[in-house]
Amino acid sequence: MAESNEPQAKATASVSSSGNPTSSLSRVSKCPETLEEGKRSFSDDAGFARVQPMIEDWHQPWLNGVELLEDSNHNKHFLPTGYEGIDVLLGGGLCEGQLTEMVGPSSSGKTQVCLYSAALVADKHFGVVMFVDTCNSFSPKRIACIVDQLSSSFSGEAKERRLKRVMSNIFCHSVFDIFALLDVLHQLEFKLKQQVKSGDTKICLLIIDSISSLLTPVLGGKGSEGRLLMVSAGIILKKLANEYNISVLVTNHMVGGEGGILKPALGESWKSIPHVRLQLTRDQGSNICNVSILKHTFMATGRTAKFVIHSRSCSVQDGRGR
Amino acid sequence: MEENPRGWIHGDETAKAMLSRILTERPFLFLPPLHRVPLRVGNVVEIAGPSPSAKSQILLHAAVNCILPEEWKGIRFGGLGRMVMYFDLDCRFDVLRLSQILKHRIMEAYRSTNNTYWKEKGEHQKNDAPTTHMYLCDDELFLDCMRRFLYIRCYNSFEFLAALKAMHSHSQRESEALGVSVHFLMIDSIGAFYWMDRACQPMPIGGSKRKNVSLQSLAEAVVQEICKLLQMQPVLVLATKATIFGAGTSGNDAQRLAHDVNLPILRSTSSTRAFGKWCSEGKMDSRTSSREGEKLMYREYMPSSWQSFVTHRVHLQALGL
Repeated sequence: MAESNEPQAKATASVSSSGNPTSSLSRVSKCPETLEEGKRSFSDDAGFARVQPMIEDWHQPWLNGVELLEDSNHNKHFLPTGYEGIDVLLGGGLCEGQLTEMVGPSSSGKTQVCLYSAALVADKHFGVVMFVDTCNSFSPKRIACIVDQLSSSFSGEAKERRLKRVMSNIFCHSVFDIFALLDVLHQLEFKLKQQVKSGDTKICLLIIDSISSLLTPVLGGKGSEGRLLMVSAGIILKKLANEYNISVLVTNHMVGGEGGILKPALGESWKSIPHVRLQLTRDQGSNICNVSILKHTFMATGRTAKFVIHSRSCSVQDGRGR
Repeated sequence: MEENPRGWIHGDETAKAMLSRILTERPFLFLPPLHRVPLRVGNVVEIAGPSPSAKSQILLHAAVNCILPEEWKGIRFGGLGRMVMYFDLDCRFDVLRLSQILKHRIMEAYRSTNNTYWKEKGEHQKNDAPTTHMYLCDDELFLDCMRRFLYIRCYNSFEFLAALKAMHSHSQRESEALGVSVHFLMIDSIGAFYWMDRACQPMPIGGSKRKNVSLQSLAEAVVQEICKLLQMQPVLVLATKATIFGAGTSGNDAQRLAHDVNLPILRSTSSTRAFGKWCSEGKMDSRTSSREGEKLMYREYMPSSWQSFVTHRVHLQALGL
């Protein structure tokens, strides 16, 4: 019924605030199929019933609590970050379908957590990792180091193969402004819509190291364009996370606030975008980091944990890895 | 048509009869922690606050209160047993949190009935058999309640409008399937698409018949759709709104305690209660008085059509440590 009506009706049924279907009704009645039934007078209900299947294309499907729970149990797994403190704090690790933000002053361990979780997820066959690098922080040598630590019981040949496999499962993109980021995200969404891959070739973790370095140049003053770009990026990230069961991890830096206390950058509008916000701090000269929950969907804020970042001391030959 | 002029002079019912009819048809609801504000179906409540205040928590608690039945297998839950329609515009809803709150409420009700049961019997130990029987009932009740929670996610204003248009027929279908009607309409973060809508250029599309797409016209469309919905099916509308402009108070960025939320009511058009401030914990002492001097500098950014549609506005402020 709706197929032949579609091209015309889509052009006419608008979201104008008049809202009544009679305007779309008059166009629908011009279609050949409905002219045969034109003898019957169209009441509002019948008209709306014809337009309704088209309207259902324009919004997401209706769900109920039971379906949401099933989706959460089957599709939304926890991806371990590799640091036990964080994993225990988050109840398993980074949750697929959620946008996790890590905030911390510089050199507090954010990039290390990103690299470690990328290596671990790629190693354990959870899926493909996409690393969007805005400040040249992606280091293949460090990934090789981590894989070396993980596969310490293997022989040389097996280690090589394992490293190759891990490296081929991590895709790194360098972007240096917000428009390039939006472009990358749109392309990713387009690609995911087309393909129906499953298993360990599907992307499951998207890391954006330092999304704040892309957004702070555009946010400034009272102009609304910067906030528009920030909110658009947030919506695309959450859409990717929800629809394709990806866990998104972004990092943010801190700026000075009132009274000299550091606060997370990106302002008030950003606060309502991530699902989970973690704050990392590291004492000078030690490699023990503190992580505390600033915001979580079901855990109390203020919970803290510690984890240790092992310094890079591993024997990886130069020139290997990508 | 009756030719009965006298019938026109004598009204349909007296004011007293009308008041009693309305109070039974549309009783007052008291939703904790807003239990001092009597709300009725047909009201539009806007819950505004900066980001780490408990806005979504209030929605979830109200939703759990609504989907729980009044009574189940002899145990009194005190809920409404009706459906909730949740529009997630922020896309931050977590079903695990909802199920956590629901399970907690169910457990509490079981525990309190268990306590009273054993008190009456005069024994002090809790037997295992009745509690395991209760755990088996749990799942059935839990799934029953979760089925009454209807949810949809929207990624932009057009999807939101389309969902509002389709909501009535969907809720009719669900009502026929489950036998209860929708009582709450919850919108998480009505201002979620503010920046995107503001950037819509009001350009005329092919002739003057169509209205331009702009922030004002989208807000008017939303208000109109909800009005139509309220006429066909009276529901209580609860909308959260994040305050995004504001110097804020110093308590904003500090950690918040889950139970310590300061709730001043700034404006309440249909309530006869004078507005004032109170703490949900009942600590109406030095904390509130020390904050008297601080002004809440949040600017209203929603268009005027939404602002005039709202009947109750609640402002939340997190008390820092």
